[in-house]
Amino acid sequence: MSSGSFNPFEMAQAQFDNIAEQLDLEPGMRQLLRNPLREYHFLIPVRMDDGSTQVFRGFRCQHNDARGPSKGGIRFHPQETIDTVRALSMWMTWKCATVDIPLGGGKGGVICDPHHLSAREQEQICRGWVRQLARNVGPVQDVPAPDVMTNAQHMLWMLDEYEHIHGGHAPGFITGKPVGMGGSLGRTEATGYGVIFTVREALRELGIRPQDTLASVQGFGNVAQYAIRLYNQLGGKVTCVSSWDQGDQTSYAFRKQNGVDIEELVSITDRFGGIDKNKAEGLGYQVLPGDAWIEEEVDILIPAALENQITGETVLKISQRVKVIAEGANGPTTPEADQVLFERGVYLIPDVLANAGGVTCSYFEQVQSNMNYFWERDEVLGKLDVKMTAAFEAVSELAKKRGIYQRDAAFMIAVDRVARACRDRGWI
Amino acid sequence: MNEKSEPLRAADLPVFRRDLFGGPDPITAIGVDFIGGKATGLVRAARVLEAALPEGKFKGIAVSVPSLVVLATDVFDAFLDRNDLAAATSGELDDERIANAFLRADFPSELIGDLRGLIEKVKTPLAVRSSSLLEDAINEPFAGVYGTKMIPNNQPAADLRFKRLIEAVKFVYASTFFREARGYRSVAGRDRYDEKMAVIIQEVVGQRFSDRFYPTISGVARSLNYYPVPPARPEQGVVDLALGLGKTIVDGDHCWTYSPAFPNAAPPFTIQDLLKQTQTEFWAVNMGRQPEFDPLTEEEYLSRAGLAEAELDGALFPVASTYDPQSDRVVMGMGRTGPRVVDFAPTIQMPDIPLNDLVKQLLQSCEEHLGTGVEIEFALSIDALRRDPPRFGFLQVRPIIEFGDGEEITAEDLRAEGLFASSDRALGHGVMDSITDVVYVRPDVFAREHTRAIAGEIDVLNRALKAEGRECLLISFGRLGSSDPWLGVPVDWGQISQARAIVEATLPDMDVELSQGSHFFHNLTSLKLAYMNVHHAGAFRIDFEWLDGQPAHAESERVRHVRLEQPLTVAIDGRNMRGVISK
Repeated sequence: MSSGSFNPFEMAQAQFDNIAEQLDLEPGMRQLLRNPLREYHFLIPVRMDDGSTQVFRGFRCQHNDARGPSKGGIRFHPQETIDTVRALSMWMTWKCATVDIPLGGGKGGVICDPHHLSAREQEQICRGWVRQLARNVGPVQDVPAPDVMTNAQHMLWMLDEYEHIHGGHAPGFITGKPVGMGGSLGRTEATGYGVIFTVREALRELGIRPQDTLASVQGFGNVAQYAIRLYNQLGGKVTCVSSWDQGDQTSYAFRKQNGVDIEELVSITDRFGGIDKNKAEGLGYQVLPGDAWIEEEVDILIPAALENQITGETVLKISQRVKVIAEGANGPTTPEADQVLFERGVYLIPDVLANAGGVTCSYFEQVQSNMNYFWERDEVLGKLDVKMTAAFEAVSELAKKRGIYQRDAAFMIAVDRVARACRDRGWI
Repeated sequence: MNEKSEPLRAADLPVFRRDLFGGPDPITAIGVDFIGGKATGLVRAARVLEAALPEGKFKGIAVSVPSLVVLATDVFDAFLDRNDLAAATSGELDDERIANAFLRADFPSELIGDLRGLIEKVKTPLAVRSSSLLEDAINEPFAGVYGTKMIPNNQPAADLRFKRLIEAVKFVYASTFFREARGYRSVAGRDRYDEKMAVIIQEVVGQRFSDRFYPTISGVARSLNYYPVPPARPEQGVVDLALGLGKTIVDGDHCWTYSPAFPNAAPPFTIQDLLKQTQTEFWAVNMGRQPEFDPLTEEEYLSRAGLAEAELDGALFPVASTYDPQSDRVVMGMGRTGPRVVDFAPTIQMPDIPLNDLVKQLLQSCEEHLGTGVEIEFALSIDALRRDPPRFGFLQVRPIIEFGDGEEITAEDLRAEGLFASSDRALGHGVMDSITDVVYVRPDVFAREHTRAIAGEIDVLNRALKAEGRECLLISFGRLGSSDPWLGVPVDWGQISQARAIVEATLPDMDVELSQGSHFFHNLTSLKLAYMNVHHAGAFRIDFEWLDGQPAHAESERVRHVRLEQPLTVAIDGRNMRGVISK
């Protein structure tokens, strides 16, 4: 899914090298951590509805499992590349370590476009993916989850296949299951809420009341929708959201100066997070080119769509009013843009922290599934908030103490924790 | 009192920082809207202390408002808005169903982490109290109408402590819609939308003794006393003290009542009565095994223990004296064996722990601050080994309603011809001349063991009156609203919501101290009901014969309802505490 010359894995490795230098890691450790521990590449033949056979390419990377079973989503995307999956698996390792949950990092994917696949065909891909990996994944090895264009239904198909192969129930194999089928209450909201828990703490640190702020959000999927809901509940107002238009194969930004109405927008949004632009216009929204979200006169920017969005070029369009950027998506900011934001003094909440609510809640789901005992929503979200806030405080404290960028602080905490685990296990 | 009667907002308080005891501010808030009456009282208490005792000390006693956080009314609003509670709040379900619906509902997500954060750092008992807009408001104290819950908060697992805290908060929310609260609002002419609930989560002052956690002394003090025992005068006030949690006083159980001007005065009754009337049981937070899961009960985590347990705990020595049968005297302290009398003499009569002086000073400071008579609540914890100084927790200050000017009723007036009833122990002030309905418990068939049935019968008649929109005079025996059915008729506010005037009487079979000191009594006065108290052996009578001669409008086995053609006139002289009801 990389665009042009952008290679996310190279970016992830560059980030790691920088942190390894700062932590003065030994050469062996650097070599171990800058690449995935294990990679699986395989083919999934599927008999299509028209009788033909199509072969899909699938991946799974287990970047590091020194702290616990690998954890990470499975993406269905036509432009999926192994480098994207590698980078994302590495970020998962850092993310789990940042919020201090006992899991490692993994990521998987299949090169396919679910928009053009029937439910049966998607089911066959899911089952085929598990058949290829059934002995290399599982509750104590590697725990997949939904990601780009996969959802609870895909997870259930995968779980079913896994349980067939292993001959018993193992709800802890996969997370993101529907509530009532081993899923956790609060999981749907978790990533979006987690973003806002960290935004709330950042504002507190800056001495700004949420009700005095405006925000602009890129993306309108699950993360963005729940982030907007919680941000509204704190009193903040979102003036612009952007979303991908499947029909036009481009994105649009939807602006309403006095604040978007989340429920109204959700009612005109398809299941992939695409807002119907005609209906939006009818509801009084200004429809603008997709990248307009970044130019909004707001206090908070929440990129919650794809990687590589705030670049050396687009960063210059960010308003001087912006004080906080919370990375709801993975890797939305390039190192060049980071440099500009750091110099400008924008408070950046890095992806490994800001969107770690999802994996944290997935961890809670796995704990519940393994126990076959399920918690109430209050209990899940209460724990999530405390975990996220504690992680925020640790990152913020280190950043202040060392006078470094928040992203570097988060990575330093995470890489240090993983490196210690590798050392303690005697790997290095 | 204008400045103080302004409702306080959470936005005016420091923001909660997830550690109840760690921060510099003892009172913090979650949310931005109103903090309710009780929390306002606590903020007031803190301000009084800051001015009166800036060092937080009074002659060796550490004095403070125990740390607390208030969940403001916007949290309650969000809780109601985001859950489907329409059925539960409609007034059609019974209390258990309401509480169940609230317990199943979700707490607002943006705030849940604060409570989780608190619970991860705090492992001592917590009081979860209601603090509604109407509760303890200057003119309409809804004291004790809503739920309060004490939780031990000592389980090793944070998950369990968190669950209990959340349940307690939801229980308090649910209590806003319980039958008694609905009845009370209806009496006060308030509807459901006038009321919003804030919740206080506060440290409990006390010490742990084996499976019990309690303060040595709990107290309620008032700067005005409408039942002064000579030589005390009304303006010298009155203090009620109890061993253990303050629930004993709030429920109107046996406690020690004295005038702060005369702490050494003997009580106005015989030694034999004293032995009968002394406190023999006390309330504590149950820190041991919980008997059973029952989130709908206020006393879920409380336990009751006797004086022997308190003596074993070492908590009795500052509060007890001993009856010496040989000399037929009560001797201060526990130097000898014999029945213990909880008269607090070692503390209020000796200079060692100057509790009485502290209470007097606080009453005075609060009166100056509020510009009116006040009622304060407190708890004192005394370490048996005196390793730490005694700790005084200042728990509440609220204004006492002053009665307006009215006609004077003289002693002669009480003996005038043709009266239906008269009393020299009356409360309220003013004249009512529109009451034609009288609901009364029949003295000829009254028996202590029937009080629960009588409560039910009163309820039925009250509902009929409510349906017609009529008000009544209610006459009952023993302590109305008593939680102990052997001491009176255990009605709640909803069951007597149509009573505008109340006469509490005694019978030879029901000769108990009447309602003074209980929350029930407090509400009675704050709703400005006319209240008269008639002792069967006293100088004044109720003309039951005349009443029995009137045709019954409705009647059940033990309760009658008559509807008179001509209204009764109920007149109360609050300053002289005299009241007459004329036919």
